[in-house]
Amino acid sequence: MTGGFVDLFTPADTFLHRLDPRVKIIAVLLLSVLAFILSNLDSLLLLLGFIFLLLFLARATLSRTLFALKFVVRFMVLIVVLWPLFDPSGTPVLAELGPVKITEPAIWRGVTSAVRVGCLATVWYILMFTTSQRDLVRALVKLGLRFDYGLTLAISLRFLPTFGVLIESIKDAQRARGLELSKGGLVRRSKNYVAVLVPTIVSALRTADTLSLALQSRAYGARADRTYLRELSMRPADYVALTVLVALLVLPAVAKFLLHVQI
Amino acid sequence: MIPSIVSPLHEGKVITIRNLKYVYEGGVTALVEVSLDFKRGEYAAIVGGNGSGKTTLAKTLNGLLRPTSGQVLIEERDASQMTVAELAKTVGYAFQNPDHQLFCSSVEEEIRFGPQNLGYPEDEVRKNVDRAVEAMALGKLRAVAPLSLRLGERRRVSIASVIAMNPEVLILDEPSTGLDNEETEELMAKLKVLNDEGKTIILITHDMRLVADHAKRVIVLSQGRVLLDSDPRGAFSDLDLLRQSNLQPPAVTQLAHRLVERGIPKDIISPQELVFQVLRAGGIK
Amino acid sequence: MAEPSIEPEGRPALAQSKPAKFVSPKVVAVYGVLTALTAAVTYASYTPFSPTKGYFNLGESMVFFSALAFGWRAGMICGGIGSAAADILLGSGIYAPITLVAKGAEGYVAGVIGRLRGGQLWAVVAGIAVGGLCMITTYFVGELLVLNVGLGKALAEVPINVAQVVLGGTIGALLSYYVKRSYPSLAAA
Repeated sequence: MTGGFVDLFTPADTFLHRLDPRVKIIAVLLLSVLAFILSNLDSLLLLLGFIFLLLFLARATLSRTLFALKFVVRFMVLIVVLWPLFDPSGTPVLAELGPVKITEPAIWRGVTSAVRVGCLATVWYILMFTTSQRDLVRALVKLGLRFDYGLTLAISLRFLPTFGVLIESIKDAQRARGLELSKGGLVRRSKNYVAVLVPTIVSALRTADTLSLALQSRAYGARADRTYLRELSMRPADYVALTVLVALLVLPAVAKFLLHVQI
Repeated sequence: MIPSIVSPLHEGKVITIRNLKYVYEGGVTALVEVSLDFKRGEYAAIVGGNGSGKTTLAKTLNGLLRPTSGQVLIEERDASQMTVAELAKTVGYAFQNPDHQLFCSSVEEEIRFGPQNLGYPEDEVRKNVDRAVEAMALGKLRAVAPLSLRLGERRRVSIASVIAMNPEVLILDEPSTGLDNEETEELMAKLKVLNDEGKTIILITHDMRLVADHAKRVIVLSQGRVLLDSDPRGAFSDLDLLRQSNLQPPAVTQLAHRLVERGIPKDIISPQELVFQVLRAGGIK
Repeated sequence: MAEPSIEPEGRPALAQSKPAKFVSPKVVAVYGVLTALTAAVTYASYTPFSPTKGYFNLGESMVFFSALAFGWRAGMICGGIGSAAADILLGSGIYAPITLVAKGAEGYVAGVIGRLRGGQLWAVVAGIAVGGLCMITTYFVGELLVLNVGLGKALAEVPINVAQVVLGGTIGALLSYYVKRSYPSLAAA
C-alpha cells in the first residue's frame, strides 16, 4: 500500500534516465524560460510537442502522462473560458452581453496562454519521471545547495509516502470511533480534522526524535568536507545535451530581442 | 470438551460472514471465500502470519473495508448498508497502535470522543464513559494527558475509548504488542471481565501464548482462507498445519510434542497441564 | 617510530578536519519531517476519496501549524517547500515556484506575528490573517503577471483562497494548541 501515493519516478534505461540530473534540472529551467519568450501560438504548440516527444522518449506510459495531465487540463480549460470574459480588447467582437464583450483575439490570447501553461506544467515531468529522489537531491547539492539542507530535503522526500500511509491509517482508526469527516459545519469539520492530524503530527514528531538520534550516531556533521560513494560526473553526452538546450534558448532569444522577430 | 461459558441468555449470532472475498485495488487477493459465524459472548482469536488476511477480515467487520463479494451480517443487518459510524455501535475496533487514536488533552475527553460522535445523549455518554473508565481501571488517570502515559496505559485508554461506544463485539488488533508480561496479563484480566459480562471478544494476533491462555476458539487464516476453526487445544495439536500458516504453537505445547514418546498427550496448552501430565506419567527420569 | 597513517594521502585526518557548521541534527530531522507532513497532508486532501474532493487543501493548516508551533523559520521553509513539493507531485508543478513564495511568505508572517506576546489569541488570529493575505496576494499577482493566465482565472482563485485561509487557519491554530498540550515536549522545541 502506498496511501494513494504516486512516486513519479519510473525506472528505465533511456537516454533521459542516463542524463546527468544536473543537466535535467537546467533543462527544465531553460525550457520554462523559453515558454515565456515564445508568444506565438504556433511556436508554443511546437514547444509542447517537443516536451511530449521527450516524455515519449523517457517511456512515460500513456496512463502516467494522463495522470500528470489530469490537473493541468482542468486548469487550461479554465483559462480559455475565463480569459475572454475579462479581456474586451480587439476586433471582431463576437458577442456582447452588458459590460462583457467577447472578442476573437481575446479567445486566441486565452488559448495561447493556456498552451504556455501546458508547457510549463508538463516540462517538470521530464525531470520527475526520469530522476530518482536520491539523484535529484545529489544534483541539487552539487549545484550548490548546502549539504545539511539537502539532507533535510532527502529526509522529507523519504518520509512523504510513509506519512501518506500514516494519515490513511489514522483516518481509519478515528472512523472506527465514529468520526465522520465530511459531516457538520465549518467548526465541527475543523475539529474532525484535528482528530486525524494531531495523532499524525505526534507520530511524525516521534519519528523525528528517533531520526535525530540516528543522525547523531552516524556522525552527522563530523566533518565539513564529507565525501560520497558515488560522485556525479558529466559525460560527453551530457555536454552535448546541455549545448543543444542552451542553443534552443539562445536562438529564439536572439531572434526576439535583437532581431525583433515575432516568434 | 470445555464447558461453554456462554449463558443461554446471550446466545444467537452477532456476526455472520458468508463467502467473503476481498481483493485490494492493486489486484492482491486478501480473502477468498471466508464463511464464519460469531455467537454473542464468544471469545475468539483470529491468528495467522503476516499477509494471511486477518486484519483485512477484521476491517470488513466494521466497514473500514467493503467486501469485493460476499456478505457480512451484523446482528442480522447487512453491513454493506451501514456506515462505519453505525457499525461502530455494534463492532468496536481497537487499533494496534494506540497513538493512532489518541489526540485529546485528557483521558476523559479521549473516551468521550466516540460516544459523542455517535450522538448519544449526554447522560448516556457519561454513563458509558464511567463504565469504560472502570473496565480499563483508568479512574486515577481521568485528567491526565493520554500521550504522557506509558504504552500499556495508552493502549488501555484506546480500548476504553472503543468500549465507551458500548459495542456488542470488541475486536483488538495485536493487543499485546509492546507490552510486558505483567501489563499483558493485566489487560487480559480486564477483557475476561468484559467477556463474562456477555461481550464478544475477537483477538487478532500472532501471539500464540495469548491465544492458548485466553481464547476459547481459534480461527487460523492462511493466504486468505480459513485453514482451521476449533478450540485452542485442537488447533495446537496440528503442528504441520500451524507451520503452513507461519505460526508456532506456545512453547509448552511444543515441549509436550517432544515428550509424546514418554506418554504425554499432544494437546497441552498450559504449564499446569504439562506438570500434571508429567507427574502422572511418573516424572521424567 | 612513526605511526603508519591509515588516512589516504592529501586528505586531512579526521581529528584535524573542521567539524561542519551544519544545523543541528534535531533541526534537520524536525524540518524534514514537517516538510514531508505538509506535502503529505496537502496530497491526502486531493485524493479522490478525500471529503474535501480537492476543492480545499488542508496543507494550509500544516503551514500555519509549523509556523505557530515551531516559529517563522519552520513556517517559511517547511510550509514553502512542502507545499511546492505537493504541487509537483499533484501535477501542478507550474504552480510550484509561486507556491514556494506564497506559502513561504505565509508561514514566515504567521510565525512572526502569531508568536508575539507568547502567542496570545489575538496574535494568532492576526498572524493567520496577515499571513493568509500575503499568500492570496502572491497567488493573485503571480498568476496575473508571471503566468499571465488572465484576470478571470486569477480572480476566480481569490474566494477559494480566502476560504482556505479561514479553514486552514482554524485547523492550524487548533493543531498547535492540541499538540502542545498533548505532547508537552513540543513546548520545549
